[in-house]
Parts: sequence; C-alpha cells; structure tokens
Amino acid sequence: MPQLVTVKVNRPDRRPIRVWVPVLPVVLVLFPVVVLVVLAAIVACVVFRIGVVRALGAAWRVISALPGARFDIEQGRSAVLVAIR
Amino acid sequence: MTEQRKDILDMLAAGKVTAEEAEQLIAALERDQAPAVAGHDARPKGKVKYLRVVVDANDNGEPSRVNVRVPLQLLRAGVRLAALIPPQALVKANASLSDSGVPIDLTQLKPEQLEALVEHLDEVTVEVDSPDATVRVFCE
Repeated sequence: MPQLVTVKVNRPDRRPIRVWVPVLPVVLVLFPVVVLVVLAAIVACVVFRIGVVRALGAAWRVISALPGARFDIEQGRSAVLVAIR
Repeated sequence: MTEQRKDILDMLAAGKVTAEEAEQLIAALERDQAPAVAGHDARPKGKVKYLRVVVDANDNGEPSRVNVRVPLQLLRAGVRLAALIPPQALVKANASLSDSGVPIDLTQLKPEQLEALVEHLDEVTVEVDSPDATVRVFCE
C-alpha cells in the first residue's frame, strides 16, 4: 500500500510548492468517506452483476501496486511531479 | 518451430534416426540456441520493474518533458481490473471507439492475452524520433 505521495509544483516567478501526503493518516481521517465509496462500489458491482469480491480484490491490487509510480511533467520553467512511495 | 528442429522431426518420421537420437539432437540444438538467445537480450530478464515513458518535445521554442514511470505490477493489476468490465459496457465502448475512427473490438481482447502482453513488455523498446519530439518507451 502507498505510504507517501509527494507532489511538487514549480511555477515561473513563484515559490515552488512541495507537498508530502502521508497516505495512512489521510485515509484514517477520511475513513467515513472511504466507507461510503466502498459501499457505493459494492452497490455498483451488484447492479452491473460483477463479482464483489473479485472487484474489491482487483481494486486492492491496483492500490497495492501504486508505490514506485512517478509522473513528471515539465514545460519551460513550469513543472509538476507526483511520486508515490 | 525452427527449421533445424523440423529437419530432425522429418528424419525421425522417415525412420533415418531413432526417437532417442532425435531427442539427443533436439537437446543439443536447444543447448546451442540458449546462449544465442541470451546474447540478444542484454537486460537481465525478471529484473525489470517499471515501464518508463519519456517524451522530450519542443513546443514553440519552449522545451517540455514528460517522464512517467509505472510499475509493471500496476499494469498487471489494471489488466485484472479491466477483466471485470461487463460485456454491455464493452459494446458501448466499441461503438464510441468506432465513432472516433478507432475500429477496435474490445470484446476480442482476452485478459490472458493482455497478461501475456504485460509479461513480455520487458523486451519492448519503442523509440520515435521526429524533429520536434522524441518518445522513448522502455522497461527498467
């Protein structure tokens, strides 16, 4: 599971923004929202006749595989970096 | 099947060699071919973990760069997730793709084919060079 998401934004003539997001504390804070999202996903699976366990398992695999992903976009003096650890 | 292996099987069918001799010949052939195949693949197989997409472009004189690193495990997980898409959604997606001029039948894409594709991505290197942009897709 991802532990830390790093977001860096460089803008010309402005101070760069660096944000480190610890995933676990954020998930704990947003736990009620996470529960609602999971419930909505279960309802969607039932409506569209998709195996709930298979769908949740596949979604969990996607989340577990996120660490190591990195997206780095630069244009001129502007840049955005998103790194998941 | 290689030409040499076919020749050995033809000799076996014609009765020129026995089954044991054919087996020994094929084993010798595989021993000879193994180092040659390894020589082509300079990267250690099984070590690659990420798919990298690097785009260097020049937009109106302003250099731009896109550097994306995606874990191969994420692609495998995505394939499993994509396998859950219901057929009626695939039919709608096919219609939209066809309207956009991309006549691809997604219902013909099987999850095992996609998994096999991801498995062999480590052997893929794509490089596109144009005066304005360079695109490189590779695994590391």
